[in-house]
Amino acid sequence: MQWMTLFQKETLENWRNFKWLWVPITFILVAALDPVTTHYLPVILEKSGELPEGAILDLPTPTPPEAFLLSFGQLNLLGVAVVLLMTMGIIAAERKSGVTELILVKPVSYTAYITAKWASTLVLIFFSLFLGLLTSWYYVNILYGDLAFSIMIGSFFLYSVWITFVLTISIFMNVFFKTPGLVGFLSVALIILINSLNGLVSRFIDGYPPQINAYIREYVINGSTSGDLWLTLIITLLLIGVLLISSVLIFRKKELAA
Amino acid sequence: MSFIHVQHLKKQFDGTAVIEDVSFELEKGMCVSLLGPNGAGKTTTLRMLSGLMKPTSGLITFEGKSNKEDIRSWIGYLPQYPVFHNWMSGREFLIYVARLARLSKKEAASRADQLLQKVGLHEAKNRRIGKYSGGMKQRLGIAQAMIHRPKLIMLDEPVSSLDPNGRREVLNLIEELKKETTILFSTHILSDAEEVSDRLLLLHNGILHHSGTIEELQATQAVNRIIIEFESHSEQYIEQLISLPEVLQVEPHGDALYVEVNKIKDARSAILQQAVEHHWPLTSFEIGRLSLEELFMKVVNE
Repeated sequence: MQWMTLFQKETLENWRNFKWLWVPITFILVAALDPVTTHYLPVILEKSGELPEGAILDLPTPTPPEAFLLSFGQLNLLGVAVVLLMTMGIIAAERKSGVTELILVKPVSYTAYITAKWASTLVLIFFSLFLGLLTSWYYVNILYGDLAFSIMIGSFFLYSVWITFVLTISIFMNVFFKTPGLVGFLSVALIILINSLNGLVSRFIDGYPPQINAYIREYVINGSTSGDLWLTLIITLLLIGVLLISSVLIFRKKELAA
Repeated sequence: MSFIHVQHLKKQFDGTAVIEDVSFELEKGMCVSLLGPNGAGKTTTLRMLSGLMKPTSGLITFEGKSNKEDIRSWIGYLPQYPVFHNWMSGREFLIYVARLARLSKKEAASRADQLLQKVGLHEAKNRRIGKYSGGMKQRLGIAQAMIHRPKLIMLDEPVSSLDPNGRREVLNLIEELKKETTILFSTHILSDAEEVSDRLLLLHNGILHHSGTIEELQATQAVNRIIIEFESHSEQYIEQLISLPEVLQVEPHGDALYVEVNKIKDARSAILQQAVEHHWPLTSFEIGRLSLEELFMKVVNE
């Protein structure tokens, strides 16, 4: 099947250029670093000896859920950055270099070309995200106390939807521009915009994608969510679908050589 | 039988026409060269035929199918500067492309090996493409264009960027491929066109000036040439030659004179008569035709 050929090629490429190594490692570091360092912060500060004479260090100890949530704070910054960085040239760079002139004159389906890239990146990101959250959960249990495994699994699924949305935005930008740097910049800008409108939009409507992050917070702390989590998930998945389909449609209309 | 019809093809970029009204037909089994100087619109024409670009207007039909349909399975294409996935080996790339062209796994592998042998990359098949030389990449490019046995293969300047060795290899390869499929290749090197192609499409400034064989092109140019060589001092005969009504122009080339005439037959008698009457010290008398290069310059400068 042609789709599998494209998917396998992407996966092999990610393997040969070590993405299967550095992306999981980065996600593990990003997710686990904050819970660990927060725990050792008093010790670190004490040992560094920078505190003035007589100062009393009184940092509140986070509860296990709070400690676990620190991971998501970092993922929203660095995890998203890693996703955008590694995908900003996923189509743009191939078009810029001219490989597409060889590949797309073969009877290749444009839908397969784009969705295979999307899917193979998703597999890599889900794998890395899972390892990252698993490591974070492990340290939270050791350093702060019990946190249910199901909470980790549940939050992983919720965050997967958000990170898929982020990836799909990057793919969408890739279809428009041939310069990877520009694709990266515009994706970052768009995601910052979407995030910063969260407070305003959420006041009026339910189901705005970045609300997923608020639901994750609620879910990790209470074990359940109020409000329309399902609506948010469905709307986000729909938006992902719309972005993906428009990417294919726009790509089909593009002149592939310039 | 012609199986590709191109009718009134036109392409504009930001309002500037790069191709204006190009029409031609390709016959099955022919090797046709698309000849023209840099910037004539050769690459644009090939890209439109391959489907990489959409014509502003005009119609391309391929065995009755128009360019609105997907004709990519019938076409093999080698761009002017082919770029591969450098992290793959030559064999991996060919198999990948074969699979994309919907060959079965087994077929893809055997076809890849067969073509690697044919283009002389058998030894290097497991080396990464990033380490290939320019000539090797060009040959791999021809192999990937051939992989799905297309009915038409288009090569964009396949030899222009190669050194003499690489050029020879690729020209021999084209000679070889002529037996299997229809070939359309672009070039600005006239001798290459003359050497391997049966037919010419002469493109200049987006206009097709000629389509047909080299002989036909020569026939359309009403000018013929007689080359007369003298023992010495050829210049002194110029005046006499010019005065003949059959002679259009005389150009000295060392001890020889290039005499352009209307009708070879009449001019030959007239000149020979002169030569006998005035005892010209001739060493040779040759009926020559304009070389492709001269024809080309003539057409382009018109």
